[in-house]
Amino acid sequence: MAHKRGGIEMEGPDVPVAPMLDMAFQLLTFFVLTYRAAPVEGQFVMNLLPPQAATAMAAAAAEPSASNDLPASLRTLPVVLRGDDQGRLAQVSIADLDVSNAPKAPAEELDRHFLDPDAPFDQTLIKVDPNLRYSDLMTIIDAFTDAFVRAKKEPKLSFDELRAGDGA
Amino acid sequence: MAGGVISKEKAEPNLTPLLDIVFQLITFFMLVINFASDNYDQRINLPDAGSARPVEDDSRISEDRLVLNVDSEGRLLQGEKVMGIDEAAQSIRHQADLVKLSLRSSGVKFDPATGSLPTTIILRADKETTFGAVLGIIKACQSQGFRKFALKAMIRS
Repeated sequence: MAHKRGGIEMEGPDVPVAPMLDMAFQLLTFFVLTYRAAPVEGQFVMNLLPPQAATAMAAAAAEPSASNDLPASLRTLPVVLRGDDQGRLAQVSIADLDVSNAPKAPAEELDRHFLDPDAPFDQTLIKVDPNLRYSDLMTIIDAFTDAFVRAKKEPKLSFDELRAGDGA
Repeated sequence: MAGGVISKEKAEPNLTPLLDIVFQLITFFMLVINFASDNYDQRINLPDAGSARPVEDDSRISEDRLVLNVDSEGRLLQGEKVMGIDEAAQSIRHQADLVKLSLRSSGVKFDPATGSLPTTIILRADKETTFGAVLGIIKACQSQGFRKFALKAMIRS
């Protein structure tokens, strides 16, 4: 390619760009075809106690913690989730009180417990119908996480299977 | 007269700006491509949750993690292998043995009665699966000493 500088015509190296462009287009095609938008996944991180300890937590008066003289059974908010025949959430009981399973009702009830400075609860045991769908359980975990955040408390959740006669 | 004169000058389009743009596109796709997608099993439809934390922001998750994909039938998926609860428990036990062996080789003592393994279980369960099936997997993990769990959900916008 000829360049003119100061009236003198200079011959510069003529680099062929077309093969490079071909390669670049091939690379571009590869990346466009293999591109898959990563799903926006989130997570709930929790320490889950082994089954024996979780069951014992509500049943027996565990050792009182250093910060609270009340036994663990009194500091544990009991929650029962029942499902219908289809596995959908049918009934929510918080501290033995039936709550509507409408989206906002459990959150309001949880706020009542967690935002009350006199309420002794600092941990929660959720007894869940084994036939309940995971998505419905997740809506309740979601409500709990929100409630713990609003109350500025560390989430302490345990799960157990709801057996016949539990919370009746 | 210029009628019979053929111009020998070739049309040379300037390809450099085009090449610049193509390289920029390649750079973009290279940066956003996700090769490590083998943990994201496409057969799993995760439930939605608004308050789930984004994965990158959560510093409580250790580097050591075990991803468990549970399908809508409550079976554990490991690559192309589909496992029932008994086989899944066996696989989890095998993974726990590997973690314990790794701890032992690095001089860390593990007491199965009181200790908990440092590995975080990343549980990706399908939204249609039942709690009973998920609890079966959680119990199998707990019986091997796993205590740290991260329950996956899609972040609802």
